[in-house]
Amino acid sequence: MGEKSNQKSWWRRLFAVRGMGQVITVFIGLVILCVVFYSINKNFLSERNIANLLRQIAPYLIISIGQGYVLITGNIDLSIGSVIGMSTMISATLMPHGMDPWLATLITMLPCLITGAVNGFLVATAKLPPFIATLGTMTIARGVAQLVNGNMNTDAIGAAANDWRSVLYYGKSLGIYNTFWIALGIWFVFNFVLSKTRTGRHIYATGSNIEAAKLSGVNVAAITTKAYVVSGFCAGVVGLISSAQAGMGAMDAGTGYELFAVAASVIGGISTLGGQGILLGNIMGASVWGVMYNGLSLIGAPVAWRNIVVGFIVVLSVLIDVIIRGGGFSKARFKAAFQKGSQAH
Amino acid sequence: MSTSDQYIVEMNGISKSFPGVKALDDVRFSLKAGEVMALLGENGAGKSTLMKILSGVYQRDAGQLTAFGQDVEANLTPRKAQDLGIAIIHQELNMCQHLSVAENIFLGREILTGGRLNTREMNKQATEVLRSMNVDIAPTTIVGTLPLSKQQMVEIAKALSTNARVLIMDEPTSSLTAHEIENLFTIIRQLRDEGRGIVYISHRLEELHHIVDRVTILRDGQYIITMPFKETTLPEIISYMVGRDITEKYPRVPSSRGKLIFEARKLQAGRLVRDVSLKVYEGEIVGIAGLVGAGRTETTRVIFGADSREGGQFFLDDKEIHIRKPMDAIRHGVVLVPEDRKHDGLCVKLSVKSNIELPNLDFLSNKAGVVDTKRVTRVVKEGIQSLGIRLPGAEVNAASLSGGNQQKVVVAKWLARKSRLVIFDEPTRGIDVAAKVEIYHLMNKLKEQGIGVVFVSSEMPEVMGIADRIVVMCDGRVTGELMRNEATQEKIMALATQFEKKLDVAVGQ
Repeated sequence: MGEKSNQKSWWRRLFAVRGMGQVITVFIGLVILCVVFYSINKNFLSERNIANLLRQIAPYLIISIGQGYVLITGNIDLSIGSVIGMSTMISATLMPHGMDPWLATLITMLPCLITGAVNGFLVATAKLPPFIATLGTMTIARGVAQLVNGNMNTDAIGAAANDWRSVLYYGKSLGIYNTFWIALGIWFVFNFVLSKTRTGRHIYATGSNIEAAKLSGVNVAAITTKAYVVSGFCAGVVGLISSAQAGMGAMDAGTGYELFAVAASVIGGISTLGGQGILLGNIMGASVWGVMYNGLSLIGAPVAWRNIVVGFIVVLSVLIDVIIRGGGFSKARFKAAFQKGSQAH
Repeated sequence: MSTSDQYIVEMNGISKSFPGVKALDDVRFSLKAGEVMALLGENGAGKSTLMKILSGVYQRDAGQLTAFGQDVEANLTPRKAQDLGIAIIHQELNMCQHLSVAENIFLGREILTGGRLNTREMNKQATEVLRSMNVDIAPTTIVGTLPLSKQQMVEIAKALSTNARVLIMDEPTSSLTAHEIENLFTIIRQLRDEGRGIVYISHRLEELHHIVDRVTILRDGQYIITMPFKETTLPEIISYMVGRDITEKYPRVPSSRGKLIFEARKLQAGRLVRDVSLKVYEGEIVGIAGLVGAGRTETTRVIFGADSREGGQFFLDDKEIHIRKPMDAIRHGVVLVPEDRKHDGLCVKLSVKSNIELPNLDFLSNKAGVVDTKRVTRVVKEGIQSLGIRLPGAEVNAASLSGGNQQKVVVAKWLARKSRLVIFDEPTRGIDVAAKVEIYHLMNKLKEQGIGVVFVSSEMPEVMGIADRIVVMCDGRVTGELMRNEATQEKIMALATQFEKKLDVAVGQ
């Protein structure tokens, strides 16, 4: 593996990175989408809209990171949307009563992490089917969201939280909204964990073949639980962002987000069967999601149509993936990349 | 004993129960450094259970285990066993298909530098292990893209890379080609000479003399005997395994060839089925021999309509039939008992009854699609009885049966409809001696009933012992045909390796 040959074949090495094929495919699709929207409405690429767009992408990216972790272990987390609701309701209930926003943030995150841990326990230790287990916690978390403020949306969280709201949503750094930087920061941390650490490797192994992982000494229950806790964390953060944005808590906040998170992950190449995909794909997946919503509203398409189009994209992206893999196209390309790579060193 | 210091593993009084079954009862086992110990017994004798206890997959209920002179507690885990220097290569491959070769080899004990995975170092070490085994696989290859035999090699490399001093191999050769087996034996001898102890579990008794020093035999969860391999014979080993003498390993029913039942003419499908013709007569068993990758399985799949073909015709009882999908074949009474019965042959999560009724629902249900349960019960009962399937009841899951009984269930579902031709693909793979004999009886019975029988087998003694006529394939072509009285191992081998000149170079790619 000489440095020279590395430099020569950077694109080949890029393709050799697992999951990169799908990421590049989606990226190309994303560019085409942007060109189409731009050609219809020049405002699409205005400085202002780009800033908005990036801020819109952020929450999708964050939740898809959590869902991505869970999906790679071969499970699913349906409680994400409700945890978002719980997070926004708890934080927005605490703040109008004069609590320091940052203390409220910490307190809010606690039940979100606990929900993740409970999901992990139910799935990994009690061995419930993940669909059922997280369906249960989803319902419970939504109930908690309704309960915290007596089945009412909260009051405005007040001027004392203005700084906090600015940090999470309204403020900008380097010309870009903070929300996007938060998402990017979370992405960097969890991408590092997933791709460069032992925990990450074990997450893939657990999703790929849980028996093999177990027999190799991997603590699959702990790994699965960690993935769910990450998902709870991500959902909690998005709930806080929702509070910061609205300046209040809505009981139905986050409804359906668990499925948006699945969609963004799948578009980016994370397999719902586990063991496959990279978080770079989630950036693409969340971006497609954000661009579609932003672009379609910019060109004046009714909300109903946005849902329909975005739903189509989800199905289409999986279909393309299945066709490519079934046809051996990507496998052949994959092999070729490897053989060339191994000849180089 | 004075020699006890040279034992690296000693197990005494080992017992283990699973709900409803006593898998091991007061079993002992020992292993010396620098020897290959064969652990033998029929399916269900407890070999795998014993070795899973030694490698920490299962925890024993009672008994002592000493490894390298140290007492080992009953709460052994795979991880602790690995730390002790005990590694196991499981029968069913346990690989993460989406991970690379190196990632699999180092799974659970990744090399870290400052908390980060050191991929480069792991790839390097994986390459070294594979090279020491004389295996040419790049460490970055995704395991799922490798053929089974190569995955097996990766499993072995994984065990070796832990520097294990005790290496347990559970049926390591079942998916390997002759060449790969040779290679494996070289590796095993090399490991033995390095002073490691190797436990070798296999049903292929013919292989043992290449490598084995001692044998331990279990039967029905009990210890029977341990003896040096040189001082015993295969018939003696078999009689200890089954607890009785198997008078005839290959029961043969004399019969005369009747009229032509089935003919496949000039089949063409990809590189592995080229111009293949096959005739099956009443009252004979046709064996298809050849090396792994000769296109035998592919041929059976084409006949069954499971794979599409580019050319060729089928004739059944002198009439041309058209087979485009398995349902066409089934309707004409041409049926396949596939090699991987758990995967292709049975719905293992369904009951035996459901499995037998499944392909026959067309005649077991009325026009509205309602199943005639009385008739189902009768058909299922007939099938179970006529094939002598041993089971607690027709409602048990197919997964709970032994390999031999599962095989019979697959056959039972086809016999429920008047089948004309039954094709078996490796029917005796992974099942024990006694069950094998039962499968042979089954084939003989079909033959006597005037049903055409074709079977694919990689075990030459079996083909020569059971088939009335042997068709040999090599590289997708039929290279010859031998009647049983003219067949010898040498002749079959010669035909099985009759590669086309130009392909000599390309083969092995």
